[in-house]
Amino acid sequence: MAFVRFIGFSIVRAWQGFWRNAMMSLAATATVILMLVLLAALAIVIAGLNSGLEFIEGKVAVTARLADNLPATDRRALIDEVEAYPDVASVEYVSPEEAMGRLRDSYREQGQELDLGGADSTIKLFASLEIAPTDPNASSAIANRLSDSPHVVRILTKQAEYDALLGIINLIRTIGLVAVGLVALTVLFMIINTIRIAVYSRANEIEIMRLVGASDSFIRWPFILEGVLCGLIGAVVTIALVATIWEPIQPVMVSVFQMPTAVSTRFLTTISLLLFAVGLGVGALGSWISVRSYLVASH
Amino acid sequence: MTYPNGKVALADVNVAIPHGDFVFLVGPSGAGKSTFIRLLIREQLPTHGHVRVAGKDLLRLRRGQVPGLRRRIGIVFQDFRLLPNKTVWENVAFALEVTGASGGRVRERVPQLLNLVGLHEHAHHLPTQLSGGEQQRTAIARGLVHDPAILIADEPTGNLDPVTSWEIIQLLIQINQLGTTVLMATHNQEIVNAMRRRVLALENGQMVRDEAAAAYEREY
Repeated sequence: MAFVRFIGFSIVRAWQGFWRNAMMSLAATATVILMLVLLAALAIVIAGLNSGLEFIEGKVAVTARLADNLPATDRRALIDEVEAYPDVASVEYVSPEEAMGRLRDSYREQGQELDLGGADSTIKLFASLEIAPTDPNASSAIANRLSDSPHVVRILTKQAEYDALLGIINLIRTIGLVAVGLVALTVLFMIINTIRIAVYSRANEIEIMRLVGASDSFIRWPFILEGVLCGLIGAVVTIALVATIWEPIQPVMVSVFQMPTAVSTRFLTTISLLLFAVGLGVGALGSWISVRSYLVASH
Repeated sequence: MTYPNGKVALADVNVAIPHGDFVFLVGPSGAGKSTFIRLLIREQLPTHGHVRVAGKDLLRLRRGQVPGLRRRIGIVFQDFRLLPNKTVWENVAFALEVTGASGGRVRERVPQLLNLVGLHEHAHHLPTQLSGGEQQRTAIARGLVHDPAILIADEPTGNLDPVTSWEIIQLLIQINQLGTTVLMATHNQEIVNAMRRRVLALENGQMVRDEAAAAYEREY
């Protein structure tokens, strides 16, 4: 019961304190929102690119175009040879007919019909081997070895795209985290200042509280909660913003970045939790630092 | 008691104040009266020696025990130190709320104290709507919320006219008669001389006089 009263007292005082210096508190809250919006944008972009990367990773394969009309025995021998490579996970032969079937399917997925110019078309696709490496980075080595084979006409790998995307992701992640970190420092500074001003403006009350025997927790927690309130309000506002714009973003994540639909449905919850935790954390940390430095108990 | 800047504020002070006593603390400004009071409420710790208040050795008191000590001591000041945006009732209730008292306890205790100091009719006035004497009564009511063993009054009449000062002294005597030890630091010669109570006189950090039923100045 006494603890409930303490919590109630601290929350009421924190709320009063927040509005007592509304300009300062709202400015601090605005910086929290700025930081969290940046963080949310970063998280969305990184998550999208990561999904794209995973999608490509699953597809990074070496495609070896075989010479036309390669006898089945030579083909068999080549497959056996490639399967024996230690860095190869699997080898799949794709006949010209299968290749054509896939092309047709991919057109249908887009809602179109493949038009080869009539039923008697002589257009024919080439036969190929699709080789999945054990490690996406091994595809160049496999490609090099295959290029010596007389049965192989041309080799395609997705290594270059993969490396480029990985580079972009790492760059964005680094720049983004540095930016969020810098903004977080500003936010921390704003909250420390807000709470410091709150502490100074209540100096008389604090002195009286000490004299009448209020315990340290009764003196400190209202100020800590005031900082938490800045973080909390900032987080709630940002989550509302992200939830609003998520609806148009989600299809983009699925179609452009190949994010699995299940992941994209869960993503709003995940990002909300992240924003909530970071907002709350920064608010609590800032006010805690402030209370520790400016509420040094004069016994 | 030596301050960090090297100034010796109090030296060789050896005083015992029994429970229920009424004591005046006199002496010129800078004599050490404030330091004496700050030592009693553990705003400061002595650099040498011991301070015992309400049965507690203040040097051995842990940080967490200080609020408990402060609830055993009521304190009022010359400048009242009321919160200007709170009413009389709220100022007194504040001292209970910040120590975790329940709403029921506040509603029970505040009227008792306002009756004691004669301010029940002014409960909903702000300090700015009160006379100096009424403000000091509010401060006294606040100082008594935890039913302290000791009431320390630091120049309680310093800002008051003579008639009002006497009313405050009457109130302090009444509180003393209810069993609370009262220590009053003052420059008011007239009151000390008329009251004939125990007088502690400080000068340059030394206790120069400790005399029962005494006057403000040395009489011999």
